[in-house]
Amino acid sequence: MLDVRGLRKVYAAKDRTVEALRDLTFRVDPGELVCVVGPSGCGKTTLLKCLAGLLDPTDGTVLVEGRPVTGPPPGMAVVFQEYGRSLFPWMSVAQNVELPLRQKKLPKARRARLVADALAAVGLADAPSAYPWQLSGGMQQRVAIARAVAYEPHVMLMDEPFAAVDAQTRADLEDLIRSIWARTGVTTLFVTHDIDEAIYLGQRVVVLSASPTVVQEDLTIDLPRRRDQLETRALPRFTELRTHVYAEIRRAQGREPAAPELPGVVPTGSEG
Amino acid sequence: MTGRSRGAVLGLAGVAGFAVLLEAVPRLLRMPQDVLPPLSAIVSALAGEMGTADFWQAVADTLQQWALGLVIAVAAGVAAGVVIGSVAVLRRVTASTIEFLRPIPSVALVPLVVLLFGTQLGSALVLIVYAAFWQVLVQTLYGVGDVDPIAEQTARCYGFGRWARIRYVLWPTAQPYVATGVRLAASVALILAITAELVIGSPGLGQQIAAAQSGGATALAYGLILVTGLFGLVVNVGVRAVERRVLRWHVSVRGETAA
Amino acid sequence: MRRLVRFGQVLALPVVLLAVWWFASASSQSLYFPPLSRIVGVFPDTWVAGGGASRLVTDVLPSLARLAGGYAIAVALGIGAGLLIGSSPALRALTEPVLEIFRAIPPPAVVPLLVALAGIDNLMKVLVIVFGCVWPILLNTVAGVRAVDPVLADTARCYGITGPARVRRLVLRSASPQIVTGMRQALSLGIILMVISEMFAASNGLGFTVVQFQRTFSIPEMWTGIIVLGLLGVCLSVGFRFVERRVLGWYDGQRQAHRHE
Repeated sequence: MLDVRGLRKVYAAKDRTVEALRDLTFRVDPGELVCVVGPSGCGKTTLLKCLAGLLDPTDGTVLVEGRPVTGPPPGMAVVFQEYGRSLFPWMSVAQNVELPLRQKKLPKARRARLVADALAAVGLADAPSAYPWQLSGGMQQRVAIARAVAYEPHVMLMDEPFAAVDAQTRADLEDLIRSIWARTGVTTLFVTHDIDEAIYLGQRVVVLSASPTVVQEDLTIDLPRRRDQLETRALPRFTELRTHVYAEIRRAQGREPAAPELPGVVPTGSEG
Repeated sequence: MTGRSRGAVLGLAGVAGFAVLLEAVPRLLRMPQDVLPPLSAIVSALAGEMGTADFWQAVADTLQQWALGLVIAVAAGVAAGVVIGSVAVLRRVTASTIEFLRPIPSVALVPLVVLLFGTQLGSALVLIVYAAFWQVLVQTLYGVGDVDPIAEQTARCYGFGRWARIRYVLWPTAQPYVATGVRLAASVALILAITAELVIGSPGLGQQIAAAQSGGATALAYGLILVTGLFGLVVNVGVRAVERRVLRWHVSVRGETAA
Repeated sequence: MRRLVRFGQVLALPVVLLAVWWFASASSQSLYFPPLSRIVGVFPDTWVAGGGASRLVTDVLPSLARLAGGYAIAVALGIGAGLLIGSSPALRALTEPVLEIFRAIPPPAVVPLLVALAGIDNLMKVLVIVFGCVWPILLNTVAGVRAVDPVLADTARCYGITGPARVRRLVLRSASPQIVTGMRQALSLGIILMVISEMFAASNGLGFTVVQFQRTFSIPEMWTGIIVLGLLGVCLSVGFRFVERRVLGWYDGQRQAHRHE
C-alpha cells in the first residue's frame, strides 16, 4: 500500500542546505498499523508531508497504492498534530466532518450517514452542531479523526496527533485508534515521538536515526493483538521492546554504542 | 537573490512599469490634455509650480491644519479615553452616547462651521479635530479595557496610588492601542483637511487642486493630487516608524489592523 | 431590576444631553443656534412634506442609491483584486508600492478631477465613492488572504479541496474577519465621500441640500439636515454591525474561547 524507496529531502535554508532525510526505505502492507518513531528533529514530519504529497522529495520515490505521489493522493486522510488549526472554525463539528465528503461529490443521504457513523465511532454523537472552539483539545482531535474516518480512506496518516493532548485523554485516543483500525482495517501510518505509544499501538515500529536520517530499525511488535492500557503495558515483553527501542534511539543520537540484543526475536529489516 | 531584495526589485519594477504606462497610454490613445496628460506633462507642471511661493504656502497651510488638529485630537482623545476607561460607571453611562456620536460623519458639520468661521483656518480645524478625536478615543478605550486585572490588583497590593497605577500599568497596556489610534487619526485628519479646503475653500493643497482644475490646468491638478498622495505616504510611514521605535518592547496585538 | 438599571444607564446621558440642548437653546436669539424646539418643528415640512416630491425621495434616496452603488462596486473590485494579489507573492511585491501611493491619496483630493472628467452627475459621485472605498477593502483582503493558516491550507489540500471550492470555502471564509474590517472602514469613508461630492458639485442629494440651506441662511432647516446626516451615519453603522455579527459569529466565539485559555 505504502512504498518508500530511497526517500531523500533536502531543504535550502538561508545560507546552508539542510538534509532532513537522507535515505528512507520501508513499506507498509495493506491493513497494517505501523508506527514511526525517532529522536526529535529527525524529520518525522517531513517524512509524513512527503507521503501526503504536501512536499516533493529531492530524491527517491514514494508510492501509494502502487502509484507515485505527485500531490495529495485521493483516498488518503491525514490527521495533523495541531487539531485546533486543522478544523475550520466557521463550521460546526458535523459540517467539518462532512466537508471532504462534499468534495467527493457523495449524495446527501450517504454523507449524513457517514458523518453520523463517524461521530458515533469517536464518541461525539451528541455534539454535531457545536463549534470546534467550544470543545476541549481531546474532543477537537476526535473531530479530526472522525473527519478522517468518514472519508473512508485507503490510507490514514497521523502526525503526532496526541502530542498536544493531556496524558489521560491520550490513552483514550490511543484506544480509539486501535478500535477504528480493528473495525475498518484501514492501512495506518502513525508518527510519534512517544516510544510507549508507538509500541502500544503498532504492529511494527520503524525507528528513525538522527539527522541525516535513515531507517535505523524496522521492528515487529509481537504483543497480543488485543491491547489494553493496563495489561499490555504491564507485560514484560512490553518492557523489553520499550527498552530496546529507547536504547536504539539513544544510539541514534550518539549517546550509546549499541543496543542490547533483544532476547528471543530477530528484528526484521534494518538500515540499508 | 534573497527574498527581500527580490521583493524590493519587483516593487521598483512595478513603480517603473506604472510610470511607463502613465507616460505611454495617454500619448498612444491621444487623450486630450484635460482628461489624462502624460506623466512628463504632469511632472513639468508640478516642477513649475514648486518654484512658486503659493505652492509652499499651501503645503504649509495644509500641514499646519493637519498637525494642529491632530495634536488637539490626540490630547483630548487620550485624556478622555483614560478617564472614561478607568471609571466603570462613566464607561457604562457614556457608551451609548459614544456609539451614537461616533458614526456621525464630520462633514455633517461643514455648513455650521462655514457659518461660524467662514473660510478661516479655524473652520478646517473644527472638522479635523472632531473626526480625529473619535479614532483616538475609541482606540484608547480599547486599550484601557485591555488592562490585565491581575496586574492592576498586584499594583494595588504594592501600594501604588491611582496616578502611579495609570503610569505603570494602564499606560503601557494602552500604548499600542493609542498608537493605532494616532495612526488612524493622522490619516483621517489629512482627509478632513483636504475636504475642508475643497468644500469650504480654506487655504491649502485642496483648495489649490480645485483652483487648478477650474482654471483648466489639469496636469497641475494631477500633480498636486500626487503631492497629497506623497504627503499621506510620508505621514503613514512616519507614524509607523515612530510606532515601531516607541513600541519596540511590545508584541503587536491590536484592535484595528492592516489598512 | 438589573435590567432597568442597565436600560437607565444606556439612556441617561443621551436624554440629559438632549434636555440640556432643548432648554439651553429655548430662549436663544442667536442666528446660528436656534431653539431645538424650532428645529424639531420644521423637521416634517423640510423632509417629509410633499410625499413623492418630498426631500426624502428627491434627495435622500438618490444619495443612498449612489452610496450603495459605489460601495458595492468597491467591494467587488476590492475583494476580487485582493484575492488575486494576496494569492501571489510576486504580484503582491510588484503592485504593493503603487497601491500604497494610491491608497495614500486623500480621496477628496480627486473630486475636482472627477468633476472635470465625469460631470456633476451620478457617475462622478459613484466614481468618487469607488475610488475612496476600494483601498481599505483591497488592502485588508490582501492581508487576510496572506494570513490563511498553513495547517488549515494543508488540510484542505489533503482532502482535495482545490480551485474555486478552495477560494470559496477556505480563503474567503478565513479572510472574512479582515475583509469585514476593511468594509467597515470603507463604509464610513463612503458616507463622507458621498456628502463631499454632493457639497462640491451637484444638483441634488443630501449634501447638496444641506449646503443649500446654509447658503440661503435657512438655519433651522440646515440643522435638520445635519441631524439627518448624523442619523444616516448611525443607522448604517448599526446595520453593518448587525450583519457583521451574523457573518462573523464564529470569529467572536473563537476569540472569546482563546481569551479564556
